[in-house]
Amino acid sequence: MATPLLSVTDLQVGFATERGLLRAVDGVSFDLAEGQTLGIVGESGSGKSVTAKTLMNLLPSYARVEGSVMFDGRDVRAMAAERERHFWGVEMTMVFQDPMTSLNPVKKVGEQIAESLRVHLKRSRREARDDAGDLLQQVGIPEPKKRLTQYPHELSGGLRQRVVIAMALACSPRLLIADEPTTALDVTVQKHILDLLDELREERGMAMILITHDLGVVKGRADQIMVMYAGRTMEQADTATLFSEMRHPYTEALLETIPRVDMASHSRLVPIPGSPPDAVDLGQGCPFAERCRYCSASCLIDQPSLEQHRQGHACACHAPVGTDAGAAAHAANHETGVTPAGLDMGTFATAVGEKT
Amino acid sequence: MAGSGAIQMRDSDEVVLRVESLVMEFPAGRNQVVHAVSDVSFDVCRGETLGIVGESGCGKSTTARALVQLPRPTSGTVTLDPGADGQVELTGIEGEALRSVRPRVQMIFQDPISSLNPRRRVRDIIGEGLIIWQDQHPDVDVDARVDEVLRAVGLDPVVAASRRPHEFSGGQCQRISIARALAIDPEILICDEPVSALDVSVQAQILNILEEMKERFGLTLVFISHDLSVVRNVSDRVVVMYLGKVCEIGNSDSLFSEPAHPYTRVLLASAPEPSTVVDASEVAIGDEVPSPINPPSGCRFRTRCPRVTELCASAEPVMRKMGPDHFVACHFPGSP
Amino acid sequence: MDTPPQVDPAEQFGVVVARRLGFGFWIAAAWIIIIVTAAALAPWLPIADPNETGVGGRMDGPGWSNWFGTDSNGRDMFARTIWGARVSLIVGFFSVLLGICVGGTLGMIAGYFRGIVDRIISFSVFVLLAYPGLVLALLIVGLAGQTLPIVAMTLGIVAIAPIARLSRATTLAYSEREFVAAARVLGATDRRIMVRELLPNVLIPMGALTLLGMAITIVAEGGLAFLGLSVEEGFSWGKMIVLGSSPRTLREGPWVAMFPIGAMFVTVLALNFAGDRLREYFDVRELGIGAA
Ligand SMILES: Nc1ncnc2c1ncn2[C@@H]1O[C@H](COP(=O)(O)OP(=O)(O)OP(=O)(O)O)[C@@H](O)[C@H]1O
Ligand SMILES: Nc1ncnc2c1ncn2[C@@H]1O[C@H](COP(=O)(O)OP(=O)(O)O)[C@@H](O)[C@H]1O
Ligand code: SF4
Ligand code: SF4
Ligand SMILES: [Mg+2]
Ligand SMILES: [Mg+2]
Repeated sequence: MATPLLSVTDLQVGFATERGLLRAVDGVSFDLAEGQTLGIVGESGSGKSVTAKTLMNLLPSYARVEGSVMFDGRDVRAMAAERERHFWGVEMTMVFQDPMTSLNPVKKVGEQIAESLRVHLKRSRREARDDAGDLLQQVGIPEPKKRLTQYPHELSGGLRQRVVIAMALACSPRLLIADEPTTALDVTVQKHILDLLDELREERGMAMILITHDLGVVKGRADQIMVMYAGRTMEQADTATLFSEMRHPYTEALLETIPRVDMASHSRLVPIPGSPPDAVDLGQGCPFAERCRYCSASCLIDQPSLEQHRQGHACACHAPVGTDAGAAAHAANHETGVTPAGLDMGTFATAVGEKT
Repeated sequence: MAGSGAIQMRDSDEVVLRVESLVMEFPAGRNQVVHAVSDVSFDVCRGETLGIVGESGCGKSTTARALVQLPRPTSGTVTLDPGADGQVELTGIEGEALRSVRPRVQMIFQDPISSLNPRRRVRDIIGEGLIIWQDQHPDVDVDARVDEVLRAVGLDPVVAASRRPHEFSGGQCQRISIARALAIDPEILICDEPVSALDVSVQAQILNILEEMKERFGLTLVFISHDLSVVRNVSDRVVVMYLGKVCEIGNSDSLFSEPAHPYTRVLLASAPEPSTVVDASEVAIGDEVPSPINPPSGCRFRTRCPRVTELCASAEPVMRKMGPDHFVACHFPGSP
Repeated sequence: MDTPPQVDPAEQFGVVVARRLGFGFWIAAAWIIIIVTAAALAPWLPIADPNETGVGGRMDGPGWSNWFGTDSNGRDMFARTIWGARVSLIVGFFSVLLGICVGGTLGMIAGYFRGIVDRIISFSVFVLLAYPGLVLALLIVGLAGQTLPIVAMTLGIVAIAPIARLSRATTLAYSEREFVAAARVLGATDRRIMVRELLPNVLIPMGALTLLGMAITIVAEGGLAFLGLSVEEGFSWGKMIVLGSSPRTLREGPWVAMFPIGAMFVTVLALNFAGDRLREYFDVRELGIGAA
């Protein structure tokens, strides 16, 4: 890979709360090349949105940020300090889960798109209006002329998200960050939107960061995947490798917890027991330890660091899935029936009366 | 898709809930009418889980609420234990008579926060049903029962009972809702998108709890979701709805292995990890579900159907049999 | 899913209250408590008899012997200000209580049952609102007499309509919540739902409104006093202000009007502020982001 378009190194984001420092993002690094898609996956509260907001310079002022973010050789954080206005929204843009966060409910769709064209690209009123129509066409909105004169609430959720995408694309960004762009939408619409994003990325050679909590969504769409938990990177690999040689117990757990249409009825889902830890008080050891069935005594005292066991596949775990250490730890826990962190191994086997 | 017709109805002693020709219309101003549910019929057998799936706005919640008479449907019947001696037609009774059968059918709602009263403590929320019916069952120990159901859904009564809902996460609130419904020992539990607002890992916990509760309390479930994979996971029988009509209904295995309705196939092809039994090209046209105020003539799916012909606009397809327990309302069913 | 951060279960309710309500609220609350206590205990307090003339000279300025000075009859203004609080607060409290009992109930019934019941109640409220409150009050007090209960009741009737409106709107909003549907599915009767599920939720904004409403009625009672329609026996702040507002008194002893004005002003301010904070505070708690 030549110099990547976006290079994030050891990003740390903290929020001072009454109970102490909340480490929302803790040591995240990744590179993203032009035309590539990075998928960021993790449960609620794992730090996905905070990572995205850091890149977009959308964090509240009391957030403490450390680490470097380089975009095409430029220091993004320095630009933030200098209030470089025509970077965000132009070269790097973002699409949110709820389209209404980006739309003004009392303004016609056409005006809103035209306005961003006029502000960022200095188009005349007239040009902006014509371009707005073209953009809607490009994002697959039927009857774009009619839509321009409608208000956001008159559109369905899927169309609204398309409008937001059209606005995001107006300035031909080089990086598009999509934070759960389809979580609020129906499956049929979700597929359309994700396909659309993919097409647009290909056409324009944009890079894309696709954030989701569903591994299935990124499976066929991302080039690389980063799995986050408690603000940290748990596993990072290119998509094919991740699914064929999954190493992190958390990644495995995330995958097993999702039902799939091809599974038989009443197949037992393996839930991830418990809930994510309190990001204020992570203590020592692996943040996933309380919920991990591979947990061994060392996991409780020694925080695993993210290590590349081979080019392009990194994992932060003492006893990765598929290794001897992992198998041994699992067998030992199975034997005693309880992990060193006190998790009953029974939760995995008999949570539900034996299902077929 | 008009799933009119009733050949999908079963004639078995095991049927505990029968819904016939259910219609629900809402006034929409200017003399217009929202056709939220139009002529929907299905039945549920004892111990079965019936899944209802469809996109948002297709009438799933309206159907669920019509089952518990909230509000009473515009027309059609909902019957408990049809054919049996104790048969009760919910749509035919009201007032005290209706209230007295209410405990038999309970419901869980989509929004975990909104379904719990923010001002009441968990013990009072869960014990509410027991207290309402205490006159009829004076020997029930309310506190003991509350503790029992709380433990059953995986919450510690000591910690949870004296708290208020805002102190819990979405998943925990949903457990409390389940506990509330189970406390009065219902026969039928209607779950309206109980996991749609939850994170994937929590979703699995709740689905497992529901399965566990079904075994333990001998429940019959009606489970609603817009997520096919979730419905597939929990259901024995599945109803696919679109714009207020039933498209396809059948045994879960048969419906998912040989989906016959174009809409079912579209749903399967659109899943994040599409089903292998359908072709990736089988997708719906456009994102927009037509307005239920003016639903399309003939088959309601025709505006988005990849297989549409002229016939579909002029004639409403009637439910036809595809297999032993598999019915579909389409002029051109089966794989393309 | 972007969910609001969960409230830490260990968070003590008291801690949260102290933090969110803010310092200003506690100052306002302290003032209200002081004035209410003083008014309640007035007969036992070591103060002069408010009706005794010649306690000091006529129109003595504020000083050591008469803190707030004396009026033209030589009555102690400090004692009178405290005794005046009695009538003002009683009128404020009981009129709002009446407004809330009647208006709140009507509003809840309208909001819960909707349909024809709602239409009848809403129409009555609308008529009541359209009828100028002051004219209504004049009419009732003029016809029924100027006793304390009549004045309080009159202002209470005027308060019914706005309170009913708020109560109806709040009830409508909460009736949409799924916990109401859940209660009906459990078999709760309408009465039980209104009392157990809706009332606790409607009471919160009502509680805040009690304070705001008291502020308004205390001022309104002053308005009646100016028209000579306040209580005939005894005196309220309003009546004291009227008595102190003759041009001559204002010229020779402005403190006679100033102290009741000041007391009324500060009390009304405190009630408003406390009511407002309370409402905001509960709105925030409502969203589940209280500790954020
Ligand atoms: N402005 C803020 N102030 C304090 N804490 C915050 C703030 N924004 C986020 N956090 C905390 O940072 C952590 C990570 O949050 P983030 O929004 O990145 O999660 P996420 O992975 O996007 O989850 P979701 O799937 O719910 O969107 C959480 O613990 C959250 O409560
Ligand atoms: N009380 C109501 N008044 C008017 N229209 C309604 C009402 N309830 C539901 N609808 C309409 O009925 C249709 C079906 O709604 P719903 O059953 O909630 O769908 P689903 O649960 O499948 O998402 C929608 O178009 C909705 O807008
Ligand atoms: S095996 Fe240990 S280090 Fe690895 S995820 Fe589990 S607890 Fe963490
Ligand atoms: S083929 Fe015709 S009848 Fe069948 S779903 Fe499509 S439009 Fe409806
Ligand atoms: Mg997020
Ligand atoms: Mg619904």
